[in-house]
Amino acid sequence: MNIVYLPHTADIRMGIQGSDLMELFQAGAIGMGNILKEGICEKKARGPIKYKIEIKAVDPTCLLIDFLSEILSTSYVEKAVFCKVKFLKLTHETAIAEIQGVQVEEFDEEIKAVTYHEADVHRTDNGHWETMVIFDI
Amino acid sequence: MIISKSDITRIEAYLWEIPKSFSPKMRVPARILASETLLDNIMEDRSLVQLVNVASLPGIQGASLVMPDVHEGYGFPIGGVAATVYPEGAISPGGIGYDINCGVRLLTSQQKITDIRDRLESLSKELYAQIPSGMGKGGQIKLSLQEIDEVLHNGAEWAVQKGYGVNDDLAFMESNGRLHNADASMVSEMAKKRGADQLGTIGSGNHFVEVDYVEEVFDETIAKSYGLSKNQVVVLIHTGSRGLGHQVATDYIRQIMAAMPTYDIEVPDRELACVPFNSQEGQNYFKAMGAAANYAWCNREIISWEVRRAWKNIFGPTIEPLKLMYDVAHNIAKIEEHSIEGKRIKVIVHRKGATRAFGPGFGELPEKYRNVGQPVIIPGSMGTCSYVLAGTDKSMQLTFGSCCHGAGRRLSRTAAKKQVNAPVLKEQLKEKGIFVEAGSFKGIAEEAPIAYKDVNRVVETVSDSGIAKKVVKLRPVAVVKG
Repeated sequence: MNIVYLPHTADIRMGIQGSDLMELFQAGAIGMGNILKEGICEKKARGPIKYKIEIKAVDPTCLLIDFLSEILSTSYVEKAVFCKVKFLKLTHETAIAEIQGVQVEEFDEEIKAVTYHEADVHRTDNGHWETMVIFDI
Repeated sequence: MIISKSDITRIEAYLWEIPKSFSPKMRVPARILASETLLDNIMEDRSLVQLVNVASLPGIQGASLVMPDVHEGYGFPIGGVAATVYPEGAISPGGIGYDINCGVRLLTSQQKITDIRDRLESLSKELYAQIPSGMGKGGQIKLSLQEIDEVLHNGAEWAVQKGYGVNDDLAFMESNGRLHNADASMVSEMAKKRGADQLGTIGSGNHFVEVDYVEEVFDETIAKSYGLSKNQVVVLIHTGSRGLGHQVATDYIRQIMAAMPTYDIEVPDRELACVPFNSQEGQNYFKAMGAAANYAWCNREIISWEVRRAWKNIFGPTIEPLKLMYDVAHNIAKIEEHSIEGKRIKVIVHRKGATRAFGPGFGELPEKYRNVGQPVIIPGSMGTCSYVLAGTDKSMQLTFGSCCHGAGRRLSRTAAKKQVNAPVLKEQLKEKGIFVEAGSFKGIAEEAPIAYKDVNRVVETVSDSGIAKKVVKLRPVAVVKG
């Protein structure tokens, strides 16, 4: 799993990579969690708040963005950061997962949205999965 | 797609054009309102590629446009205007943005800067105490789902009815602080949950509440109409529809993207997802957008209530109350009539990071502004300056009655954090007489003046091009950020 943060004029550009699709989605959740609360997913992966998320989309790119959007919305409603993702089902069009998170007093960053801009989930030459994700800040 | 300067033609002193022939997908030319120096800056990111993409939207009229403060966004550039033909032209949630009805308002006081100079530090701390960022436990008002529906329907009027606002303010807001096309039933439960505790909060990023004084008056007549005079203390508020608006945009971009094949629409970037305005999906979005816009007007009215409370706490209960000069949106879609190639056409004007700037005679304006044009409020960055301008007839000819919305970012947040030592900057600003209160040093670094273009240059461009008239220049003295 690899997560890098790259410059963008106004927003946050995050590059993620995983050995398979599941790891890519997990990298997305961890990378986003660490933006919401710096370093939180490095300290405490599990937490007492659990949610089940079910997403259907036309392709893996939309699936990832919609999946992260759903986690983001849940984060704001629950005032929590979700670092742990356990997949019950993950195909190119469906994601069913249990997310686990911890409550936070305050977020470090307010992400307005996970955008589709520049997102392109694809396999690299070495068989890994990767994409860019732009967060509207 | 690579755009070089040779692809761009100067068609007026401050107006540049990428012709329709540049790309087979373009339905209209793409135009840039900028000085040559600003154009060179704009070409450093991908704003113009995004502008060319916008020119491919179904039903787009005249030209896709960007203002001199434009910077790269996601799909649409930030600082852009696109008008599509009513009723069958495209409506695109990305052309309004995630922060629906992000906007600015200006409150005026009866005090001069010399009256309050020695109270600025305590004033900034009191404002920070009264105005929650909403980054944690939320604001002071918790709404039930029924109350949220009332806010979404009534906009700023809700705040007035509940004692959080001032009735006289309503006449001084774009659309009087309420879009009548709003329909709360088109807003998801998730969006309503996100909005339940965020009224009266500013959020983070580039949102702020700022105390300024009028440093310079450029047009005495218009300034007098707007109730502005030299050295007068004023308050600027910049925020939008918070998590509720973000969720509405997220929900509808997803729905509209899924609906595009039904209408045989393809776009070069998913964030340009659009459907015909008169389709079921287009109408649903427009009603939900109206509801989120109403939430934003209500939010800014409640923040004004918090500012007014802080004002009384510092200056005493008998202090002359702050008055609303104007409140204007810069992320919104409106149905308007414009002259295009000699014909009056009804269009859906998308403004994303662009301010409406209607000239004299516009009926919606309060009577005292009607002869001088709509106030246009242009915030700079903390530590520099901001401006009040007046809309002109030329904006109706060149930019669908639109103007810039700020200085425009120049540096990424990462680059700003690398270059700025926030505690040192805070002290430097204090030495200059500017008191900054923020939730984090990170927020100060990201929003440092160095991260922005020179607002003076941006304002000179819009003023010299004739789309707005300079009225006054504001100098900040206290800044509150989330």
